[in-house]
Amino acid sequence: MMMHNGSNGYGNGVMTSASSSTATGTSSSPSATNAQSQALKTYFKTPEGRYKLHYEKTHPPGILPYSHGKSVSQITLAHLKEKSTHSGPAPSTSASASTSSGVRYAAARLLGVGGGNGSRTLSFVGGNGTSKAANGTSRSSTLAGSNGGHSMLNSNYDGKGTYLIFNVGDTLFISDLNSPDKDPIKAIHFSNSNPVCHAFDPEAKDGHDLLIGLSSGDVYSASLRQQLQDVGKKLVGAQHYNKEGSCKEGTGDSSFPVIKDQTQFSVAHARSSKSNPIARWHICQGSINSIAFSTDGGYLATVGRDGYLRVFDYSKEQLIGGGKSYYGALLCCAWSFDGKYILTGGEDDLVTVWSMEDRKVVAWGEGHNSWVSGVAFDSYWSSPTSDGTEENVMYRFGSVGQDTQLLLWDFTMDEIIVPLRRCPPGGSPTFSAGSQSSHWDSICPVGTLQPAPSMRDVPKLSPLVAHRVHSEPLSGVTFTEESILTACREGHVKIWVRPGTSESQSSNSEAIVGTSSKEQPLLPGKTSVSSYKSVHV
Amino acid sequence: MGAAGSKLEKALGDQFPEGERYFGLENFGNTCYCNSVLQALYFCVPFREQLLEYYANNKNIGDAEENLLTCLADLFTQISSQKKKTGVISPKRFVQRLKKQNELFRSYMHQDAHEFLNFLLNELVDILEKEAQASKSDPETSSPSDKLANGPKNGLANGPQKDPLVTWVHRNFQGILTNETRCLRCETVTARDETFFDLSLDIEQNSSITSCLKNFSSTETLNAEDKFFCDKCCSLQEAQKRMKIKKPPHILVIHLKRFKYIEQLGRYKKLSYRVVFPLELKLSNTMEDADSEYSLFAVVVHVGSGPNHGHYVSLVKSHNHWLFFDDENVEMIDESVVQTFFGSAQEYSSNTDHGYILFYESLGTGNKS
Repeated sequence: MMMHNGSNGYGNGVMTSASSSTATGTSSSPSATNAQSQALKTYFKTPEGRYKLHYEKTHPPGILPYSHGKSVSQITLAHLKEKSTHSGPAPSTSASASTSSGVRYAAARLLGVGGGNGSRTLSFVGGNGTSKAANGTSRSSTLAGSNGGHSMLNSNYDGKGTYLIFNVGDTLFISDLNSPDKDPIKAIHFSNSNPVCHAFDPEAKDGHDLLIGLSSGDVYSASLRQQLQDVGKKLVGAQHYNKEGSCKEGTGDSSFPVIKDQTQFSVAHARSSKSNPIARWHICQGSINSIAFSTDGGYLATVGRDGYLRVFDYSKEQLIGGGKSYYGALLCCAWSFDGKYILTGGEDDLVTVWSMEDRKVVAWGEGHNSWVSGVAFDSYWSSPTSDGTEENVMYRFGSVGQDTQLLLWDFTMDEIIVPLRRCPPGGSPTFSAGSQSSHWDSICPVGTLQPAPSMRDVPKLSPLVAHRVHSEPLSGVTFTEESILTACREGHVKIWVRPGTSESQSSNSEAIVGTSSKEQPLLPGKTSVSSYKSVHV
Repeated sequence: MGAAGSKLEKALGDQFPEGERYFGLENFGNTCYCNSVLQALYFCVPFREQLLEYYANNKNIGDAEENLLTCLADLFTQISSQKKKTGVISPKRFVQRLKKQNELFRSYMHQDAHEFLNFLLNELVDILEKEAQASKSDPETSSPSDKLANGPKNGLANGPQKDPLVTWVHRNFQGILTNETRCLRCETVTARDETFFDLSLDIEQNSSITSCLKNFSSTETLNAEDKFFCDKCCSLQEAQKRMKIKKPPHILVIHLKRFKYIEQLGRYKKLSYRVVFPLELKLSNTMEDADSEYSLFAVVVHVGSGPNHGHYVSLVKSHNHWLFFDDENVEMIDESVVQTFFGSAQEYSSNTDHGYILFYESLGTGNKS
């Protein structure tokens, strides 16, 4: 159904070579692989064993013009619990829905569309009460897919009900995570603007468990189940908020007062209790690139163009702390499951570990050769040496970058080596006096932002593993109980199964992954999927 | 030209910076390499101000002899003193002078913007040094043309011979590299200082400027064919070499080596690699105590798939707005548009507009005049 490419002039350039762009698509071998992608390995080694490429998820090539990186693919995992009856909300309940539910949060990237000063100042943190926020999942939800019962949803491949949602161009794709099928099972088109971020919350009371943010500033909430049951290509049964970015300043019909000081953090609540968003947090000047709630929902972290990480007490609406990147914008952030650490990544090529307790940077991970675009803690990993005590917790985390690499890191506070007081090796002794590092000695008061530390003051981490996983710059990384998911900007997703995961599960993929240069064995019932291509093997 | 000008003026509205002028430059047949660099230099504010100041102070002395310095100063004065805020100006005299001066730029062939920038800065330094010498040795009678032969040929003055003159061009662009070589036999470290006006960096696919700078300063082993003559051992030895930035320049100019000679092909090829450059940058491989911080203010972009043809445009940040200069045309662009000039992650791409020369200005109070 999505094979008709018609007049699209872009098709050839980015993802595939010219030879693959026949109008109807064929099931022939993937001639589109280029030299670069062929050099990619289908596994990588870690101390605990091999991670193997299990499945790949992608979208029909050629149909979507990749226009200068303006919309970068993000991934969200969604786990649909079984429900005896369809309980999607009727659209007519909208009036009451706005008070009882509605947008819990969304990070909307308001790509400076025309308007006035060009500054992009909005981040929405609408809420329906802080108690509800306790289940907050971050944009790249790491929770779904493994916790939940093994419900049987008929259409889902293995009955686990786990779906992968990702955006490419003007389309939001939904794939069945555990099915070997590469192509999405559903595509939702947006005609006016591109979807740029999304989130899923299985606990959403009214069934509007899927949030979608558009580059225009529009935010939708909808039922994922309802989308899967619908045969059309449009979003159905959705609530629509912040139409065309109407909360933006200067548009007249905003329900929020004018921001007095653009440089100051301020929270304004909607004048009407019926309106949604219910609050506007003005955080900083310049765009906000990512937000993340702590696992218990108590804290909110934001990163943005100005290079600052900011941590807020969500219910008190107060800035707790934060700090500047080494330099450049920050692009991503993520919490540890226990809420003690925050990872950030950005344009300084560094992965930063921020300590909530110290309210400062405690380590810099050096290893990426380009900007760091995705970070995540692996909450399913436990150190083989861990003795279960609270004292010596070892954390595993991952990062992906525009260098096309996935890096895995181990981190424990005990092994951090605090740099010696300033006395440059071989340097002149005149330096050592007076210019002592303030980074480690000073106490950071609550509510203050730390300046960028000096290179010499922050302990460095080295990656455990560095692996080129895609041929395109990466945009996201997510951990599940069984695997690591990596996504590139163009919307190709790879699922790397953890070592020791049952062979029966991975046997399917071996067949697919292993025969890249030959005819793909078509799976039963899949003969109609003629666009089946293996681009990134 | 009026239409384009008014469009930009409309876009800026009452935010049009006081006293600033945004003028396109006419193209005289493949002179976009020149136009793109001139715009970047014009919006290098300390350079512009010092050039205009110098010109104002020396107008009377130098009005006999026309040279590239006076032509550049003339052009900049012409732009800055326009009544209108936007429009098009013809850099005719400057281009004529350039072609007279250097036969390289005389043909109508496609020229390299980096070569031009390099030539121009060195030429300016030469002129300033000659003038300084002339006024010192014989202020009354000497004419610059007499001394053409014996001035220092370029700005790269090594070692301690005399005190090299530090002109305002040096103060803006000059940095010092230390080339450290450690003999692996006797462990002696030989350090040699080199001055530079720009850093030419090798690039890799899907990398960042930070990473390219790191590679530039990484340790390289000299062995086999490429051994090092150690003065202490008095013989060729294996050695380790690395480049450190001893003194970071006020204006950091980074040239991406996008044109690479491919031996198998016997010709140059353009590397369209995606190399991301941040709007803020720090040099951490310096020998100074504090990491010096820079802010991007101009990008010269090469448009096209090959080295021998194509087009140059420039992106310029002025008073917190980004502007796009394409010969006569000037447009306002959003900051996020800068990202579309990083290059392509895949070899064959429809995107052929790639950042080629980056201009960063130090945020430190440092040596800003």
